[in-house]
Amino acid sequence: MTRRVAWGLLLPALAFVSLFFLAPVLALLAGAFKVEGGAGLANFVAFFAEPLHEQVYWRTLRIALLATLVSALVCYPAAMAMVRVPPPWRGLLTGLVILPLMVSPIARTYSWIVLLGRNGFANSLLVGTGVIDEPVTLLFTEGAVFVGLLQLMMPLMLVSLVSALENLPADVLAAAQTLGADRWQTFFRVTLPLTQEGLIIGGTLVFTGCVTAYITPALLGGPKVLMLETLLYQKVNVAADPTAASVIAVLLLVTTVAVNQGLRRVGSVRRRRGRGAEAAAPGTPAVVEGRA
Amino acid sequence: MTELLLQGLCITYGRRAAKGAAAVNDLDLQVPAGQLVSLLGPSGCGKTTTMRAVAGLLAPQAGRIVLGGEDITRTPAHRRDIGLVFQSYALFPHLSAFDNVAFGLRLRKVADAELRRRVDEALASVNLAELGARLPAQLSGGQQQRVALARAMVIRPRLLLLDEPLSNLDAALRLEMRAEVRRLQRSLGTTMLYVTHDQEEALALSDRIVVMRAGRIEQHAAPAELYERPATPFVAAFMGHENLFEWRDGHLHGPKGAVPLPLDGLAAARDGRFTHLAWRPTQVPVLAAAGDVDGAAAGADAAACALPGRVLARSYLGDAVQYLVDTTIGPVKGCGGPQSAWQEDDAVRVWLDPARAARLDGGRA
Amino acid sequence: MNRIAWPALAMLMLALVFLLGPFVVVFVAGFSGDETLAFPPRSWGWRWMAHVFTVEAFQRSFATSLVVGVGSTLAALALGVPVAYALARHRLPGQEVVRTVLTLPLVVPGIIVGLALLNHMVLVHDLPVRASLLVGHTALLLPYAVRVVSASLANLRPDIDDAAVTLGATRAQAFFKVVLPNIRGGIAAAAVLAFITSFNQVPVSLFLTGPGVSTLPIEMMAYMETSYDPSIAALSTILVVFTIAVVAATERLLGISRYV
Repeated sequence: MTRRVAWGLLLPALAFVSLFFLAPVLALLAGAFKVEGGAGLANFVAFFAEPLHEQVYWRTLRIALLATLVSALVCYPAAMAMVRVPPPWRGLLTGLVILPLMVSPIARTYSWIVLLGRNGFANSLLVGTGVIDEPVTLLFTEGAVFVGLLQLMMPLMLVSLVSALENLPADVLAAAQTLGADRWQTFFRVTLPLTQEGLIIGGTLVFTGCVTAYITPALLGGPKVLMLETLLYQKVNVAADPTAASVIAVLLLVTTVAVNQGLRRVGSVRRRRGRGAEAAAPGTPAVVEGRA
Repeated sequence: MTELLLQGLCITYGRRAAKGAAAVNDLDLQVPAGQLVSLLGPSGCGKTTTMRAVAGLLAPQAGRIVLGGEDITRTPAHRRDIGLVFQSYALFPHLSAFDNVAFGLRLRKVADAELRRRVDEALASVNLAELGARLPAQLSGGQQQRVALARAMVIRPRLLLLDEPLSNLDAALRLEMRAEVRRLQRSLGTTMLYVTHDQEEALALSDRIVVMRAGRIEQHAAPAELYERPATPFVAAFMGHENLFEWRDGHLHGPKGAVPLPLDGLAAARDGRFTHLAWRPTQVPVLAAAGDVDGAAAGADAAACALPGRVLARSYLGDAVQYLVDTTIGPVKGCGGPQSAWQEDDAVRVWLDPARAARLDGGRA
Repeated sequence: MNRIAWPALAMLMLALVFLLGPFVVVFVAGFSGDETLAFPPRSWGWRWMAHVFTVEAFQRSFATSLVVGVGSTLAALALGVPVAYALARHRLPGQEVVRTVLTLPLVVPGIIVGLALLNHMVLVHDLPVRASLLVGHTALLLPYAVRVVSASLANLRPDIDDAAVTLGATRAQAFFKVVLPNIRGGIAAAAVLAFITSFNQVPVSLFLTGPGVSTLPIEMMAYMETSYDPSIAALSTILVVFTIAVVAATERLLGISRYV
C-alpha cells in the first residue's frame, strides 16, 4: 500500500474527528481561560472561591478514590478465583461479568432507586423486621452514589485483573511454591508485582469512570449530592453560566489525564528499576473504555 | 543425600477422571540417593504428572511418596524442600537473575552476607557470574535455563526434579547443557529425577532409566541394559529398534509373510521365552544380491538369514547409508557403509542375524 | 493446582451477586402491578410492560434512538474500517498520533463532548437535532470501530493481500475479495458494540436533544423526574432482555468475545 493511499484512507476519519469533535471541544476548553483582556486563570480562582464548588470537587475525588480501592480489594481475590474456573463455566462467567457493561446504565442505576427508595427493598426490609420505625432516606446521599458507581465500575477492574492474571508466565506461581513460598508470600512477592499493570489499568478506568460519571450521580445523588458532571449540567441548564461549565470541563479533563499519565509513569518507573511487571501488559479490551 | 520412593501412586485428573482412565496407575519407583534417574516416554505417558505429584503440585488419589524415609504425601508443596526446574523455566520476569536465584533463600531468611555468597556461587557454577543484574527478558534461552537450574539448586534441596529442561534449546546448546547438568549432579551428589522424551538424552545422563507408557512402567534398567536388551516391543521401538518382528514356530513373521529363521544354540542359551525379535537398522547389514555373507558365523545358517529384497528408499546419513528394503516378510531398514551405492529398485539382501537381535517378550500388555 | 481457595471463591460470588443482583431487582419490579414503585411489589402483572408501549414519548424516542443508532454505526464503520486497514497495512510516520486522535472520543468525558458540540457546532451552524445526534454519536463510535476491526485485522496475515495481487488482483479487489470476507466477523462485532453504545448513550445525547426529538434513555430520565410508577422498571427489563438476546445471538453466531 502506498503512502498516499494510506493517507487517503485515513483522511475522512481524521477530518471528521477534527471538525466535529476536536474543534468544538478545544473551543469549549478555551472558554475557561478567557478573561478580561486576554487569557488567564482567573476563572479557576473564582470557581474554587465558592465553597460549594470546592466541596463538589473534593467529594468527586473522594468517592472515586474509595470506589477504586474497594473494587481493587474485592476484585483481586475474585479475579484469582475466576482464572481457576475451568471451561465451559469460565465462558459463562466472563459473559456474566461483561454483560452489565452492555446494558443501559439507566437500567443499572435504576435498580438502586428501586432498592434504596422510601418504598424500596432496603427500607421495606428494615421496617418489616422492626429495625427502624420509619423509612430512612437512603437515596440522594453520598452512600447511594458510591454504591451505584461501584456497581457500575467494578466489571472494569475485574476484567483488567483477569486479563493480567491470564498473562502470567506459565508455572511462575508453581515455581514460587517449590521454592518455599506459601499462599501469601506467593501473592505479595510474585502475583502482585507481575499483575500490577492490570491493577493500574483497572484502577485508572474505575477512577476516571467515577470522576466523569453523569447518570449515576444524577439519578442517585440529585441536586443535593452534586458531582462534577452534574454540577456542570446545572451550570449549563439552570445557572446559564457557560464559563463555569468550561472551567469544570477543563478540571474534568485535567484530572483524568493527570491520573492516566501519573499511573502510567508509576508503572514504567517500577519496570525500569527491574521491579515492574514485564510480562503482564494486557491490552485494554475495547468494551471497557468509555463507559459511564 | 536422600532417596525417593514412590509406592502405588495413582493419579487421575480432569477429563481422564471422567472417563475412568488414570494418568498414573499404581506406580512403584525408587530413586537411590545421589543418583540421576530418568523418566522416559512419549507425551501423555504420565511422566510430567508423576513429577508434579512428587513436587506437591498435584495430589495423588492413592499411594505414598517417601523422601529420605519421610512420608511427604500430605505435605504442602512449599514445605517439601524439593527443587523443580520447569520446562518453561518459569523465571520471575520482574526480578533480576540474582534476585531469581535468591528468591528461595530470602524466604528461608538466610542472612545477607551468606545469601550473597551462595547466590554468587550458584551463578558462577552455571557460568553466569557476570549476568546477575540482568532481567530474564535480557537473557538468551540457554542463559535463562541456567538461571532456572541455579535457582532450584541454590536452596540445596533434598531432591531435584527436572521437567524436560532442555527441550526448548537448540541442538548444540542442548548438548552443552546436558554435560553441565551431569557435571553438577556428580559434583553435588544431589538426587535427581529427570523427565524427558528424548531417549538419547536419557541414555547420556542417567544412572537408571524408567520407560513409561500410559501411566505405567514398561521397563526400569541401566542405560546399557535398556539399549541392548529392551524388554518389550514398545521399549524396543522407542529405543530405536525399527525392525520388529514376531517370532514363533521357528519362523520370523512380518506384515507381508513369514520366513524360516534358524536360531541355533544362541536361542537355547537365553532363558527361553520370547515372542519378538528386534534389530536396529545399524544391526542389519545390506549386502549384494549374491555372494558370501561377510562376517557371518560359519555355516549355511548365515545364508538363511540373508533375505533378498528390493531397495525402496535410500538416505545418506554421513556415517552410513540407510536403506529401506522391501523383502518377503515386509519392509526392513538396514545400513550399508558410507561408500555403498545401491539405488532405488536395486536388488539386495538384508542380513537379519539372530545373534544381533534383541529378544522381547511381548506378552505384557 | 485446580483447587480454588474458598475466600477467593466467596469474593467472586459476592462480586457476582453485587453486579447481577440489580438486574434481578429491576426484573422483579418490572412485573409489579402496583400504582407506584414499591419493592417488593404488592401485586404482579404485565400492565406496566404493556403501558410503556403506549407512551408516545417512548415510541418516538425509540424510533429516534434506532435511526440514530443504525445511522451512526454505519457512518462509524464507513469511516473506521478504512482507517483500521490503513494502519494495519502501512507503517506511517505519526501513526501513533493518528491513533491517539481517533481514540480521543473515548477519553474525553461524554458531557464535555455534548456541551462542546452543542455550543460550538450545533448552535453555530444551527443544525437540526437528528443531524447533530448522528454526528455526535458517529464521533463517539469511531474509536470502537477502529479498535475492534484492527484487532480482527491483526489476526490476518498481510501475505494474503500480496498473494491476491500476484494472482492478478488490484489492491482494491484484494481488499474486497480477500480481506473483507475474513474480517466480516470483526466488523459485525464492531457494529453490534457500536449500536449498543449509541443506544445507551446519555451524556452527549443529553445536550444534543431538543424539544420533540429525543433518544430513549433521555426520555426515560425525563419520565423518572415526574412519574413514580414502575414504567421505567418495565422498560428497563425489556431493554435488558433485548440486550442480552442481541449479545448472546452475536456471540453465538460470531464469537464477539474474540474481538472485545
